[in-house]
Amino acid sequence: MPFPEEIQALRLSLQAATLGTLLGLPVALVVGWLLVKSSIPGKAVLDTLVSFPLVLPPVITGYFLLILLARNGPVGSILYKLFGADVLFTWAAIGLAAGVISLPLMVRAIEVAISNVDPRLELAARSLGAGPFRTFATVTVPLAYRGIIAAIFLGFARGLGEFGATIVVAGNIPGSTQTIPLAAFTSLQSGDDSAALRFVGLSLSLALVTLSLHHLLIRRRTSRHPWVTY
Amino acid sequence: MGDILDLRVRKSYTGFNLSVSASVPSGIVAIFGPSGGGKTSLLNCISGLVSPDEGEISLHGQILFSSSQRINLPPERRRIGYMFQESLLFPHLKVRENILYGYNLTSPSIRRIDPSQLVNLLELEPLMDRRPENISVGERQRVVLARALATSPNLLLLDEPMASLHMGIKGRILRYLKAVHRDLSIPMLYVSHSMSEVLALADKAIILDKGRQVAFDEPRKTLRDLGTTSTMESVSLENLLDVEIMEHRRSNGVSLGMVDSTTLILPYVDEKVGTRISICVPAADIILAVRRPEGISARNILEARIEAIHAMGTSILVYARINELWLVEITPDALTNMDLHEGQKVYLVIKSSSIIPLH
Repeated sequence: MPFPEEIQALRLSLQAATLGTLLGLPVALVVGWLLVKSSIPGKAVLDTLVSFPLVLPPVITGYFLLILLARNGPVGSILYKLFGADVLFTWAAIGLAAGVISLPLMVRAIEVAISNVDPRLELAARSLGAGPFRTFATVTVPLAYRGIIAAIFLGFARGLGEFGATIVVAGNIPGSTQTIPLAAFTSLQSGDDSAALRFVGLSLSLALVTLSLHHLLIRRRTSRHPWVTY
Repeated sequence: MGDILDLRVRKSYTGFNLSVSASVPSGIVAIFGPSGGGKTSLLNCISGLVSPDEGEISLHGQILFSSSQRINLPPERRRIGYMFQESLLFPHLKVRENILYGYNLTSPSIRRIDPSQLVNLLELEPLMDRRPENISVGERQRVVLARALATSPNLLLLDEPMASLHMGIKGRILRYLKAVHRDLSIPMLYVSHSMSEVLALADKAIILDKGRQVAFDEPRKTLRDLGTTSTMESVSLENLLDVEIMEHRRSNGVSLGMVDSTTLILPYVDEKVGTRISICVPAADIILAVRRPEGISARNILEARIEAIHAMGTSILVYARINELWLVEITPDALTNMDLHEGQKVYLVIKSSSIIPLH
């Protein structure tokens, strides 16, 4: 197969970004819901906590993840017991890093989407016998559809581009943890301009595909339900 | 009709304090008062969307809220239907799915009302596969009514269900509400700022002014009390009546209708003979005569008997009974000059053009 390095990097990037999005989305939905709808104490603390990856240099976030995910770390030890393997320096670590780094972006998008749903519709659902969770699943989420899709794509795109935290938790191992941005960086560093250019092209095409897909999904939904206004 | 809902509610808002205590009977009970008087707040407290600061609410003996016993059932466990001011249908669901939303969440053992029964009663069949965006405002109100009723609620709260509708559709919704009450015997708590609606529908009325309960009695009595204390701005009263179309005299531009066992000449109505429609006759548009007038252009002269006379703000309200009670608004000057008194035989003179058909 031609371009084995590029294909390997592409596969790894897609895998990690997908894992990151899948891990991040449920957390972002819960956090978004808590921030907008609930009256729990310590909302500001929660808000600050999920915003950290946005304001901290990704390398620093990566450092925290390194501590958490180490075999004797609080999260790493649990994962080691469950899977009998280390997470650090695997593609799963890249996925986790991508999820954590893109979480604040997903939370923001979902927060906006949820707060745009008319709360009286949710009250109507409650008065019809739906509990808070069912109301969220059957009224809030379908009506916040566009924002949630946007959050997914935002998270996915951010995950694809993840560099700083990735290099800390997964290293830069060609063929096993070298994602597209890492590979592009490596090529640039070693002066291999033609390889760097191939990764630039790959990134651009990937971005184009992601954006078009997002646009398509939102467009379809809008034409079918022109009443969903945000 | 025994009492079904016991209310003792206190809640502070900026600007006013809601304070109501009433034992609400089965049937239709109106909550009446000027806007900002706390009517919607009271419904929200009963439905559980808002928690009172203090008090007790119990429905059919079940405690829904009690500050002393620290009970506060969430809205989904109160079995109270709520028809909001705006229709608030779920925009992502078809009419059918909207109606079935609460029905599917109702345990089969407590279902008393079948959705198909509601579809017939409220004439919803042609709308079932449409989306809320594609139906009219009046149709939406019917769907929202069906959606609330499909949960077989123990009580139905209606927050000015006709506020957003124009006169014509109002009469129709009014008739649907009456039909619902008659066929499904669901107690209703009905918020309105129209005394005419209250008089046409309700058995009892709670009058709220700035959150304070100023009266709780039969609508007519509360209206009388309001008239004498005059805490309310004056209201324009209308007679809302059901008419059965008897005959059309199209060339004369009129239709004949049977109301209150008398024939009434109305402006031409484009409905089949035998249909029932609602009409609205403003109380101030009826002329009162002590003798049967002759040679007069007004087409309707109805014999009635005065049942009560009350002052209302700056005018006088006369209750005249044929079989139903008609409201006639006159000036204090007319009252003195005509020497009207209770029990007196009078004639109600009504121009056809003063009768507003509500389709």
